[in-house]
Amino acid sequence: MYESKRSPLMILISLALVILTACGPAATPSVAPEGPQATEPPAQATEAPAATEAPAATEAPISVENTLSISSNISDLITLDPAVVYEYSGILVTHNVYQTLVTFEGADMQTIKPSLADSWETTDASDHWELTFKLHPGNTFASGNPITADDVVYSFSRVFALNGPPAFLLTDVAGITADSVTAVDPETVQINLPKTASPGAFLAILTNTIASVVDSKVVQENEGGDNGSTWLLDHSAGSGAYVVDHWTQEVEVLLTANPNFNGDQPALTSVLISHVPESSNQLTALQNGDADIALNLTAEQLATLSGDATSVKGEDLRLFYLGMNVGVEPLDKPEVREALRMAIDYDGIVNDLLSGNAQKVQTIIPSPMFGYNGDAPFQQDIEGAKAKLEEAGVSDVSLEMLIPDGAAPGGVQWSDLAAKLQSDWDQAGITVTIKQVTFAELLDAYRAQGAQLALLYWGPDFADPDTNVTPFTSYEAHSIAWRNAWDDPDVAAQSKAAAVMTDAAEREAAYKEITDYVLHNGPYAVLYQPAALFGVRSTVQGFEWNPMGFTDFWTILKIA
Amino acid sequence: MNLLSYLIRRLVGFVAVMIGISIITFGLSHLVPADPAIVAMGDHATDEQINAFREKYGLNKPIPEQYWIYVTNLLQGDLGTSLHTRRPVAEDLRNFFPATFELSVTALVLSILIGIPAGVISATARNRLPDHVVRIVSLIGGSVPIFWLGLILIGFFYGRLGWLPGGARIDKFIPPPLEVTGLFTVDSLLAGDYTAFWSSVQHLLLPALALGYFSTAIIARMMRSSMLEVLNQVYVLAARAKGLRQGMVVWRHAARNALIPTVTTIGVTFGSLLSGAVLTETIFSWPGLGRYATSSAINLDFPAVMGVTLLAALVYTLANLIVDVSYQWLDPRIRNG
Repeated sequence: MYESKRSPLMILISLALVILTACGPAATPSVAPEGPQATEPPAQATEAPAATEAPAATEAPISVENTLSISSNISDLITLDPAVVYEYSGILVTHNVYQTLVTFEGADMQTIKPSLADSWETTDASDHWELTFKLHPGNTFASGNPITADDVVYSFSRVFALNGPPAFLLTDVAGITADSVTAVDPETVQINLPKTASPGAFLAILTNTIASVVDSKVVQENEGGDNGSTWLLDHSAGSGAYVVDHWTQEVEVLLTANPNFNGDQPALTSVLISHVPESSNQLTALQNGDADIALNLTAEQLATLSGDATSVKGEDLRLFYLGMNVGVEPLDKPEVREALRMAIDYDGIVNDLLSGNAQKVQTIIPSPMFGYNGDAPFQQDIEGAKAKLEEAGVSDVSLEMLIPDGAAPGGVQWSDLAAKLQSDWDQAGITVTIKQVTFAELLDAYRAQGAQLALLYWGPDFADPDTNVTPFTSYEAHSIAWRNAWDDPDVAAQSKAAAVMTDAAEREAAYKEITDYVLHNGPYAVLYQPAALFGVRSTVQGFEWNPMGFTDFWTILKIA
Repeated sequence: MNLLSYLIRRLVGFVAVMIGISIITFGLSHLVPADPAIVAMGDHATDEQINAFREKYGLNKPIPEQYWIYVTNLLQGDLGTSLHTRRPVAEDLRNFFPATFELSVTALVLSILIGIPAGVISATARNRLPDHVVRIVSLIGGSVPIFWLGLILIGFFYGRLGWLPGGARIDKFIPPPLEVTGLFTVDSLLAGDYTAFWSSVQHLLLPALALGYFSTAIIARMMRSSMLEVLNQVYVLAARAKGLRQGMVVWRHAARNALIPTVTTIGVTFGSLLSGAVLTETIFSWPGLGRYATSSAINLDFPAVMGVTLLAALVYTLANLIVDVSYQWLDPRIRNG
């Protein structure tokens, strides 16, 4: 007997709908992202005017023609606040939204150019350096507020107060505090730099997004008890070519042109960075014309491009290296470390594993950074490696190597790279067991001097050789040298001296000497430097990748 | 036993389950031999910065104390702050859950709408062509990896034919509807924005098919086998003997009884849909909970891991409750028992 004529299927569906409504968000409905996207009719509205009742447009809506569409994996994006941002995607966005006192242009990373500051001078004030910056008069923020020296002081004070991941660049590398930055007058900023830091390296740090100047009035209006950091997470208060229209987590970031930009208006009025985690989808989007630029294609995918899209190569400053803990026997013997270096088939790694999308770099300063040393004396020499082991008086070397899981930037699986090294060493009689762990676990062990061999990479923090040389040579710096228990006071002293040298030729010679020394005596085997590869539609012009990990969106245009 | 006392009993059980899950997840997420502070602050941060981070988020306290603080806050409705996104976990869940829910429910509805009739047809046409087709298609569905299927669907329908979009929830040049439920299809209808509705439906189709294929296959196979069993029962013979039409016999007498084991399968399948969403969401750039869960786990973001786990447990428990209640609709003996 049946009580009801309702089908069980309908019951299930209606129950599903009940949870569907019950599990919706909290009672207060929030509005869609503000800005042109939310308030203006969609581009398609012209075809279906009856469908929407959007208010009248104040600006041109975003459309295929006026928008630069970028497909990228932006899952690393956690904030757009320039004082704390230190992720690749975050830097890419904030670089285009904020301006710094000085900058690099295009792909160049050696010539400091004026930005908010027209000019600057460095004076030797006996116990410290005095850097004086003259702001360009009449510049304004996107809000229309004038840019003053007080804004610069406020921006630096936020960095110290928030102490986010990049803050060490100012606190530790430059060695300055909030008191070091003062406003002499509305158009003059003075920064006192201790003599332990190099003014040249400091200027390079100032090109980083951490030194972005924020609109203090706007940020203070949205202070929120944390120096406005929560508000700046997905809003902007800068003077760059673009402003943040909205960022929807795991979906997209939309930038629109800043109407009050101090330079020429960008050709494209908006930039839409869509989150596409899967690289094969980035490829399809590029081929279909849905994306103008794809940032995360593999070398194989780029090789398939033809016609409408091409592959563009840029520099990537990361160095892939092997760390050898000298606190572990027999790695304490320089000959054993040399044997490990000698047994590696570097050409095989670059040409076969990475399909040539890398360069053979064996010293600790990447190309094309100042001080780069192109010497690459190592290529697999099994007999030489065996002789070195004999010289050290060791046999049956057996070690453990920690490697991260997943794919290494540059397009090779960490495990494939490790297996290649393992087989190279095996030929020289060195047995290495591979232990694959998460990147977090690896760092945990490595930072506590707990790895025997560790395979990973180092990316520079600013465009000066000191960004690599100090961590790689100074035990005191508590960074890479420390992690490998390598305490060599002489080379550390040399690095310290080189960091503050002002004469370029003298400095270059000093770095040559240091890098040559580390090449044979350090606890590292630098394996390669990958290339940065991008898929770009042929309609896109002016795309240039800066090795520091960003591009200037405002120089890019699309031709029909 | 009336429904109310039954529900109360289930609620008590539910609370116990949630406490157990919270302890296990908390314990597990602290067993990982890595430091969330290093992950959050990055490789280049100084020891002082890392210590400051630990201090700020209470990571330097003993684990039982951390758990106690967590539970105390939880009881006040505070799920904590994500160590990775630095936003309140509750806010993150609210952002990401509707997308996953919309996708999973669509996949489930598609699976039911396709799977049940397919199973019934297959059973009634046993060993004939329709049966073979259903069996082969569902065998493939049970064995094809979801990421492969997703890539093939995108490659064909988006890459080659250009009929359907290859990812995201809505066209990037169409503004998403005003948020009410967080489900784009529902919200765009509520707003009367048919452009947005059509775009969301198009975007939903491929990921829902990819995600739902496995469960469709399972449901079809389950329905087929229980139908075969039921069709041999005496009451089916009796119904036939009464001269009832074939459709009446199959759908009203046999299918309804064959549904009980299938409904159980559907309940379990819903759980697997939520976990399958992790891969589907990555492939289809779908901003849902699966991707959030993965990145939380990778970043050792334990407040987020806890939040996701508790929410998943809640959904799973609710799905099972719905299944149990629906038994009572399907079979009066269970209701009275």
